[in-house]
Amino acid sequence: MNSQSAPSGKHAIILVVERDPHIRALEAFFLNEAGFGVEFAADGVAALEMAREMKPDIIITEVLVPKLDGLALCRAIRKEATMKDTVVLVFSILAAATRAREAGADAFLMKPLSEQRLVDTVRSLLDQRAVSSPSADLA
Amino acid sequence: MIASNGNHTGTFARITTGNPQADFVLGGGLPSNSINIVMGEPGTGKTIFAEQLLFANAGGGRPIVYVSTLSEPMSKMVSYVQRFSYFDADRLGTDIQYEDIGPLLASDGRAALVPWLTELIKNVSPKIIIIDSFRAIHDLASSIPETRGMISELAGLLSAYDTTTLLLGEYTADDIQRYPEFAVSDSIIQLARQPRSTRDERFLRVLKLRGSSYREGQHAFVITDDGIQLFPRLVSPRVATTYTPRADRSSLGVAGLDAMLDGGVWAGTTTLLVGPTGSGKTTVAMHFALEGLAKNEPTLYVNFQENPAQLARSFSILGGDASAMKTGGLEFLYASPVELQIDSIVIGIFDRLKGGAIRRVVIDAVGDLATAAGDPQRLHDYLYSLVQHFAVSGVTSLLTFESGSSTPSGLDRSEQRFSYMSDNVLAISLGGEERTRRTIRVIKTRNSAHDPVVRQLDISAGGARVS
Repeated sequence: MNSQSAPSGKHAIILVVERDPHIRALEAFFLNEAGFGVEFAADGVAALEMAREMKPDIIITEVLVPKLDGLALCRAIRKEATMKDTVVLVFSILAAATRAREAGADAFLMKPLSEQRLVDTVRSLLDQRAVSSPSADLA
Repeated sequence: MIASNGNHTGTFARITTGNPQADFVLGGGLPSNSINIVMGEPGTGKTIFAEQLLFANAGGGRPIVYVSTLSEPMSKMVSYVQRFSYFDADRLGTDIQYEDIGPLLASDGRAALVPWLTELIKNVSPKIIIIDSFRAIHDLASSIPETRGMISELAGLLSAYDTTTLLLGEYTADDIQRYPEFAVSDSIIQLARQPRSTRDERFLRVLKLRGSSYREGQHAFVITDDGIQLFPRLVSPRVATTYTPRADRSSLGVAGLDAMLDGGVWAGTTTLLVGPTGSGKTTVAMHFALEGLAKNEPTLYVNFQENPAQLARSFSILGGDASAMKTGGLEFLYASPVELQIDSIVIGIFDRLKGGAIRRVVIDAVGDLATAAGDPQRLHDYLYSLVQHFAVSGVTSLLTFESGSSTPSGLDRSEQRFSYMSDNVLAISLGGEERTRRTIRVIKTRNSAHDPVVRQLDISAGGARVS
């Protein structure tokens, strides 16, 4: 069971943009287990609207999501002044690390879901953000 | 930016089957994060295949879970598996976990499988899941369409998570079209048993492997104390551009015979020696081997009629000392013609050729391989591949073949089948009223002059001589 504590990630809110119900369920489980709060959006347009309202600490998005794909979502977030510093992790079945970087993503992970890699990456991104923006440290 | 395998599209990670030869057939092993079906009728070796994989991959922090749908108690599984050398009791319970969901499926039906697996993933994080028997799931549904939704859910779940799945089942070939799990699987491996004379031969065949090349066709295997021992089907080597035929000649070791061949056969070529029973083929073959030792050319002698002790005695009659011959580089490879399996003998030859020391090979006799092969095409393919490997490796070989014909004028149909893949063909005939007068004739030599005259072949206590 992966019930490790996540001191640097406590209270952090993650917006997951994912339409696969199995991945959504497993992501929710493992991220909750690690101490994160998780909200879901099933498409890119809904995710952008939710992000504006929620101001999540991290957005984890698949590239292949309806209406607004994950890379377009990433570019849109980078253009909005209030969200330009939001951490974006692209987590996809597509090998798209270069395109994700070009779109402004902070990190890329390839599917399938490995809870160890996912949680470690999320923690690392939050730690990096805490160092660069101390006021944003949620630990 | 943190990236993990993001731009890596050419290859994918593999997991070993625990069997190097099976990994070779599969192009490196099973793809990780895949759904794989191992199919075959009862007794074909599915469970052994899975268990070998299971123990080979055990460890590393995430467990492997073996799920029984048939209510087979763990004690029964363990009682059989511990007889194999790959069994490791320390792995059980932690790295390898056995689960029995037979009672759950019996009470709640097939729909209970996906929720159960979801909880397994959440609670145990298995890196490999083996479900045995998956076909039994269908017994819980009144129709196949009923299971489609469940299979789709199952594929979705198992594809989403970082795990590799094996579905074992007593499927037949017809089931591939019938059951939906074959459509969603990434690989299909078939294990089969076929009667061959008074015994059975086992075969492994890859029917599907997404995103990867693999060696097609039937690959023979046997089950030993070490598990499955596989013999990948032989294919001809792609001759490298650097392959240059040897420019020296090899003596056959029979006085007078080299003169008929313009000084011996070209080194690295294959010679087919045909003749009826008692014509002296084995004697000539032994001369060829002894000549190899005299020239410091390690020799492999493959024989199916005489065991190594009998063969050593035969060599000693020709003046060879068995122990000295062994230290001098003569190696025997013997297989009983009763249990002879062509795949295992051919792999045995290649294993001995791998080191590169062997410079001569005798196969005495090809006819025994023909019996083992079952059908002529299979034998032809094997011999052709062998001969090609010999040529590329610069190994000079002599194959004996028992002829039905004793006429010196030509070859019968079966001999012709083998002669075209040989560089040189020699025919021994028996003549005279008592059929005791031996003659030898060179039927063909490639890229060399030869003596077309039929000459007398004398065999005495001292060996063979052409006059």
